[in-house]
Amino acid sequence: MAELTLDGVTKVFTEDDGNEITAVDEVSVDIEDGEFLVLVGPSGCGKSTTLRMIAGLETITTGEIRLAGQRINEKPPAERDIAMVFQSYALYPHMTVRENMSFGLEESTEMSDDEIESTVADTAELMEIKELLDRKPSDLSGGQQQRVALGRAIVRAPEAFLMDEPLSNLDAKLRATMRTELQRIQDDLDVTTVYVTHDQTEAMTMGDRIAILDDGMLQQVGTPLECYHTPNNRFVAGFIGDPSMNFFEMAVDGERLVVDRFEYPLKPAQQEAVAGKSNVVFGIRPEDIRIKEPGGLSDNYQFEVTVDVVEPRGDENTIHLTFDRSIDDPVTFTATVSGLREVSAGDEVVATFPPDSIHLFDTDTGVALHNRMFDSEDATQQVL
Amino acid sequence: MSTETGRAGERTLFGHSLRRVILYVVLVGMGAFYLIPIETGLMTSIISPETYTGNFPYLPPLEPLVPGTGELSLEPWRGAIDGLGQGLVNSVILVVPATILSGLLGSMAAFGLTTISWRGQIGIYILFVAGIFIPYQAVLVPLTQFWYNVVPLRELFEPLAALPLVETYHWKLLALIITHTAYGLPICTLLFRAHYKKLSDEMVEAAQLDGASIATIYRRIILPLSIPMFAVVFIYQFTQIWNDLLFALTIVQFGDAAVVTQDLVGIGVSQSGTNFPLRMAAALLAALPTLLVYIFFGDKFAKGVAA
Repeated sequence: MAELTLDGVTKVFTEDDGNEITAVDEVSVDIEDGEFLVLVGPSGCGKSTTLRMIAGLETITTGEIRLAGQRINEKPPAERDIAMVFQSYALYPHMTVRENMSFGLEESTEMSDDEIESTVADTAELMEIKELLDRKPSDLSGGQQQRVALGRAIVRAPEAFLMDEPLSNLDAKLRATMRTELQRIQDDLDVTTVYVTHDQTEAMTMGDRIAILDDGMLQQVGTPLECYHTPNNRFVAGFIGDPSMNFFEMAVDGERLVVDRFEYPLKPAQQEAVAGKSNVVFGIRPEDIRIKEPGGLSDNYQFEVTVDVVEPRGDENTIHLTFDRSIDDPVTFTATVSGLREVSAGDEVVATFPPDSIHLFDTDTGVALHNRMFDSEDATQQVL
Repeated sequence: MSTETGRAGERTLFGHSLRRVILYVVLVGMGAFYLIPIETGLMTSIISPETYTGNFPYLPPLEPLVPGTGELSLEPWRGAIDGLGQGLVNSVILVVPATILSGLLGSMAAFGLTTISWRGQIGIYILFVAGIFIPYQAVLVPLTQFWYNVVPLRELFEPLAALPLVETYHWKLLALIITHTAYGLPICTLLFRAHYKKLSDEMVEAAQLDGASIATIYRRIILPLSIPMFAVVFIYQFTQIWNDLLFALTIVQFGDAAVVTQDLVGIGVSQSGTNFPLRMAAALLAALPTLLVYIFFGDKFAKGVAA
C-alpha cells in the first residue's frame, strides 16, 4: 500500500514507417495511498497505455512513475509489486482456481506452501469462490472468472491494483453488482487502485477521484462531482453525464447570446467571462432544464419549445426538444423530467434555463469560461 | 401413417436414404482400396517362402487345405527380426532423442520468437523460415564433409564409448540426431509459433506481473499449454526421421550404425531371386513403430490439429 505518482508521463509509439504517435502526453497525477482513481476516456485516448506503463508492460518514453516515492520506470513488471486485473481476465487455463491464485505467491514471495494455502483460502472466502477452488477456468461462468481474476490480484496483497476495464465483459446486472462489490473490497483492503474504463457511469460511481483523458492528454482530475459540475472544458462537460450536456454554439451580442430563435440574457459575471469573444458555446445539463405547461413566459430565461421525441426510461423521461420544428435541421436539445409525467411528441411546453446552471465554453479551445454555481463544501455538507 | 424414416420426398432403400447408401458404398470402397495392399502384404509375410507361388497373395496361406495359397509359416517374420534387429535398435536410438529435441527446441524457439518481443526477432525468424526451403539434396555433400572432416566427432566421441551400452559406432547416430534435429527445427518452430500466436498476450502479461521470469513462464504456462501441439510435432517428426533414408545413407553410409531403412533396402534380395514373404514381413516390421505412434497419439494429434 503506497502512493503512486505519475510525473509528466509520456508515451510515443514509433510506427514502422517512422511516424511518431504520441499516445500519452505529459500526464501527471498524484494518487494517494488507498485512493481509488478512475482513468476514463473514449477508446484510443491513452488510458490503457497509461495503465500498462504503471504495470511495466510498456516502456515510458519520458517522465517518471513513482511508487511509494521510489522511481519504478526501469523496474520489470515482476519487481513492481503491482497486481493487475485484465479485461479478458487472463486466467491460466490449464490451472485450477487454486493454482491460478497460488501462482503469484509462489513466484513472488518466499511463503511456505502452508502459508500460501491458507492465504489463498482466506482470499477465496472474501471473494466467495471457496467452492470453485478445484475447478478449471473453462468450467466457470464469466462472473465467476471475474471473481477469480480479482482474487488472484488481491491474494498477493500488492502495493497497488491496476484494473483494465474489468467489468466490461459482464452483463449489465452483474456489472452493477460487481461495481458495488469492488468498491466494498477496495474500501476494506484500502489499496491504492487505478481503474481504467470508458464508461462514465463506472467512473462517476466508483472513483474517489476521476481522471479524464482525451487524445493522450489529461483533461481534468477531480472528484466525480467536481468533474460533473465544474468541468475544465467542453470535452469533460460532454463526456461526463448521461444523457450528456446540451451545447449550443451562440454568437455574443452585448448582454445576450443568440442563435436562431434562441436568445439568452447573461448575468454580469457571465458577461465578463465572455467579454471580447464573438462566439461561445453555451452548455446546460438536461436535468437543469425545467419543463412546465405552456402559458405565459414569466422571465427572459423561459422559452416556448416543442417536444420532438420522448424516450421513457421508467424513473425519468428523456425528452428531445426544439425551438422551432418547422425549420429544417432545427437546434434540438434534451431535458429530463420525472418518469411519471406525461409528455408526448408534438406537445408545446415552456423550458426554463436557470441562469445559475449554465456553462460557457470557448468555441475554439473548448476551455470553460464560466461554470454553473457549485460549491463542493456545500455538496459535501448536504450529504452529511 | 407413414413409417418412412428418410426425409420427406427422398428416395429410400430398405429405410435408408439413397444418399446415405451411396456414401457407405464409397466409404467401404475406399477402405478396401487402402487396406487390400496391407492385407496382401500381411498374408504374403506369413507364407513359407518355399511354397510362395504368387498366384493369390491376398488369400490366407491354407495349403494343403486350399491349393495355390501357400503354406503357413512364421519363418519370414523370424528372418525379418533377425535381419532388421540391429537396424531397429539403431533407429530407436536415433529417432527418440531427435524427435524430442527438435520438438523441445522448436517450442522454445517459437516461444522466444513469438511470446517474448525483442528487437530483431523478425530477422531471426526469417532465417528459421528460410531453413524450411533448403532442399535435402543441397546439403548432402556439405553434411558428409562436415561430420567426417570439419567436426572431429569420431575422436570427440571416443571417451564416451567406454560407457556401458555405448559403442564406438554410435557417434554416427549422434551426428544423425544432431542433423535431424537441426533440419526439423524450422518446421517445428513454425508449427509452435502458429499455436503460440493464438495464446492470450494478457495471460503472459499477468504471469509477468505475478512475478514469473521468462523461463518460469515457459515452464509453467506455455509448456503445459503446448501439449496438443507437441503431439502433432512428435508424430510428424517421428515419421519423418524414422522413414528417412537419405541422411542415413549420407552420414552412416554403411556398417554397424545402419538404421532400419538402410537394412530394409537389401533384405530378401539375392542372386537366386527375391524372397517376397521376407521382404513383406520386413516392410511391415519397419513400418510398425510409426503405426503404433499414430495409434497411441492419434487422439492428441487430432486435438492439436484442431487447436
